[in-house]
Amino acid sequence: MVRQMSIIEANKLSFAYREAEALRDLSFEVSRGSFLAIAGPNGAGKTTLLNLLCKTLKPKSGSIKIDAVPIESYSTKALAAKVAVVRQEVLPVFGFSVIETVLMARTSHYNQLGFETELDKKIANEALEATDTAQFALRALGSLSGGERQRVFIARAIAQNAPILLLDEPTSFLDLKHQVGIYDLLKTAQLEKGKTILAVTHDINLAAQYCDEILLLGADGNYHIGETKDVLSPEQIKKVFGVKTFVGRLGQEKIFIPLGKFAKGSRLTVVEPDSNKQKNLWHMPP
Amino acid sequence: MEGLLTPKKLIIRFVSALIILAAVMFICSFVGTESISLKRIFGPADLQTAVNPDYEIFVHVRLPRIILAAIVGAALACSGVVFQALLRNPLADPYILGISSGAGLGAIIAVLSGLSWTLLGRSPIAVFAFAGALGTVWLVWFIGSLAQKPGTIGLLLAGVVVNAFFSALIMFLISVAKSQQVHATIFWLMGNMAEEDFLVLWLGAGCVTAGILTLFYISPQLNALCFGGDDARSMGVNVAATRTIAFAVAAFITAVAVSLSGLIGFVGLVIPHGVRLALGPDHRQLLPIGAVVGAIFLIIADTLARVVVAPAQLPVGVVTAIVGGPIFLILLIKHCRKVGWSGK
Amino acid sequence: MNKWWWLLLIILCWSAAGFAIFGARQNQTCTDAPPPTQVTRIVSMAPNLTEILFMLGKGEKIVGVTTDSDYPAAAKIPKVGTFWQPNIEAVISAKPNLVITLGFEQQRNLAQRLKRIGYNCLTVNIEKVSGLFDAIEKIGAATATQSQANLLVSHIKKKLDELCASVGRDHRIKVLYVVQRQPLRVAGRDTFINEMIELAGGENAVGPTVHKYPPIGAEQVYACRADVIIEPTMGQKDLTAQQDSALEYWSKFKNVPAVANKRIYVINGDTVSRLGPRLDRAVEAIAKCLRPELFEN
Repeated sequence: MVRQMSIIEANKLSFAYREAEALRDLSFEVSRGSFLAIAGPNGAGKTTLLNLLCKTLKPKSGSIKIDAVPIESYSTKALAAKVAVVRQEVLPVFGFSVIETVLMARTSHYNQLGFETELDKKIANEALEATDTAQFALRALGSLSGGERQRVFIARAIAQNAPILLLDEPTSFLDLKHQVGIYDLLKTAQLEKGKTILAVTHDINLAAQYCDEILLLGADGNYHIGETKDVLSPEQIKKVFGVKTFVGRLGQEKIFIPLGKFAKGSRLTVVEPDSNKQKNLWHMPP
Repeated sequence: MEGLLTPKKLIIRFVSALIILAAVMFICSFVGTESISLKRIFGPADLQTAVNPDYEIFVHVRLPRIILAAIVGAALACSGVVFQALLRNPLADPYILGISSGAGLGAIIAVLSGLSWTLLGRSPIAVFAFAGALGTVWLVWFIGSLAQKPGTIGLLLAGVVVNAFFSALIMFLISVAKSQQVHATIFWLMGNMAEEDFLVLWLGAGCVTAGILTLFYISPQLNALCFGGDDARSMGVNVAATRTIAFAVAAFITAVAVSLSGLIGFVGLVIPHGVRLALGPDHRQLLPIGAVVGAIFLIIADTLARVVVAPAQLPVGVVTAIVGGPIFLILLIKHCRKVGWSGK
Repeated sequence: MNKWWWLLLIILCWSAAGFAIFGARQNQTCTDAPPPTQVTRIVSMAPNLTEILFMLGKGEKIVGVTTDSDYPAAAKIPKVGTFWQPNIEAVISAKPNLVITLGFEQQRNLAQRLKRIGYNCLTVNIEKVSGLFDAIEKIGAATATQSQANLLVSHIKKKLDELCASVGRDHRIKVLYVVQRQPLRVAGRDTFINEMIELAGGENAVGPTVHKYPPIGAEQVYACRADVIIEPTMGQKDLTAQQDSALEYWSKFKNVPAVANKRIYVINGDTVSRLGPRLDRAVEAIAKCLRPELFEN
């Protein structure tokens, strides 16, 4: 079987901020159309990795290939055609409207006078529809709630029409409904449009539910990459995050609840489920 | 799609603004300490002296002054727009990165050195002020890029430091200068609209218009830059090139404005905000319409400066502050009440 | 990249057009200045210039003066702005065929602008006594009144010589000439006031300074050991009242000889503060303060 060409290839990536090493000899591949979660403790280098992948930072050593072409040979415009980024919430100082924001993703395609073509407007509209933000089109970005704004930024990334989507903690500061909404949106983009998605997240449970693979970055430079059901285990979590968890099971995936010293559940003795038991400890809604 | 800027909308708004500008120029050319009338301008010359004073005043005093005010107003407004976008700071004005103290230093060095050569008939003060302004901007840019990779904080800090240092230098030089020279420099620094000859106005208009056109060409990129350099780059904008061009051109047209008329404040701060509040933050609109509004504003301010305390003249900078300050406050209050800023 | 080349082309064409249209006028000077005999409408931009013109007999030809031209009283002429801020529109409205300005920055600018428009301008520098005489001669030449000018100059010189002779050269009295109280400013060595003091038989109590009118501190007031302190008034205010307040003000500098001997004088500033044709009267006023005994009669 011909193995599909990886759309992203990282080889022995290293990066350091001054003396503090953030990444050391990181190598991995991401296949086209997959959804990769990137998780790890603070300071492990997750955002750094994203910035390396979109050329905002240059690695100290190692190489990155996007679509089998080294990232250095991409011009800014060419890279933007391949990689779209949704960063942690950025509120511009000046009040652009939603539609203006989304259309900015098409800046490289404007006509000679510097205005949007009809195609650009169509793509922007479709992106707004896809993220369910069309009703906000004329409202100022600052007047939306956090969740709505995040969807607008994702719409902008979609309007860029790039095959790769990088997101930096897309659901922090969002309530449960919006967290799920964003992940549903991303999954739809992956399945319907074939986009390759890399999302940095703190929420390993949602990652387990939605992502195909997960890259666990440890603070010491160790990393593990693989399918979520293989990589995520209580021992791994303890090693990488340094925290004890209560583990549950949901279908093929596990659920992890971190328990500190004073958590109510930490004093209870719990029978940890293993693969032999038939019964779940959790009541699943019909 | 309603509410979005289209070429047609922009052209309509721009042309309307130009019509208002023409009207203002026409009306203000008849306002002054001497009353002149349209009829007499085209009338015969005075028998005794073979001179038609109405014509002379209109063509050689009022018109050059109004054109000068238009050029300087447009340059300062656009420069303000660009610096606010580049520094992502609504309090930025054209002088924030050391241009004012650089120009002042150039001016006072010119006065003290007693040079009398002229360039195109411009006094050495103007030439040195221009060189001082550009040199200082380059210095600030250089220091800012040494501090960290081209980020806005590095530039702002460098600008503050350079401004402070040069201002101290200026104070020192003023204290050792002879009184007449000091008077001349301070008078110049306060901003004045002295009538220039037409060649200078022609070239100045050319420089400023070219600068504004260049900025207009890169306004989509400026829009993207408002979201930060990283985001703009991810969207395919060449951030370094955009920043360099915008910075250099804005500094250039500000230096031209300062060399023509001294330091006139408030125009570069208030006009961008006013136009942004009325029409939205899209730079494709802010730049051309801001230029015209800046021109109108400065023409009116200069007219007021000429007549309010006749026969003396107020420095134009005083009028722009007095008129601009309350306007700014009103805009601020209106903005706080409004929920959103999207363009109409 | 196409649009950038277009822009460059447009800029070059625009500049070239500008030079073509206006370049020729760069060096245009006033080519049709009327000859001095036909100068009938004169604008004077300084009070001392106005005085000179009146003394040359051209008083009724003046059609515009600055607001501070108040001597002679016949100078009730339309105002064309202030000394520091000339109003070019008013100057033009007066339809002059000769405009006389002083040489400092603002007035030099005015003269340049007027020349560019095509008016006949004369700029004179009256910063020293010698400059005054030069200026009188130049103005005489420009208004076809050379003989009156020569007369005026010799008259002033004669009066000055007489004064010098009567006060003698042996003992120079130290004078502190105070032009401003807050902050304290005096006339330095490099001023026409200093020249007047020396002509009146005095010597400036302050030594050479960088500034023409340096601000000085109390320390220097004591150190200079002035014999006489002179302050000018402005305008026709009550001289005796000002004299009293001056005495009171200076009484705190007890150890200065001028204060100890109560030799503090307030004189009428009009003649002294401008370097004009009433120079002899100005020097006389100062000499009266230095040697009052000589002028008893």
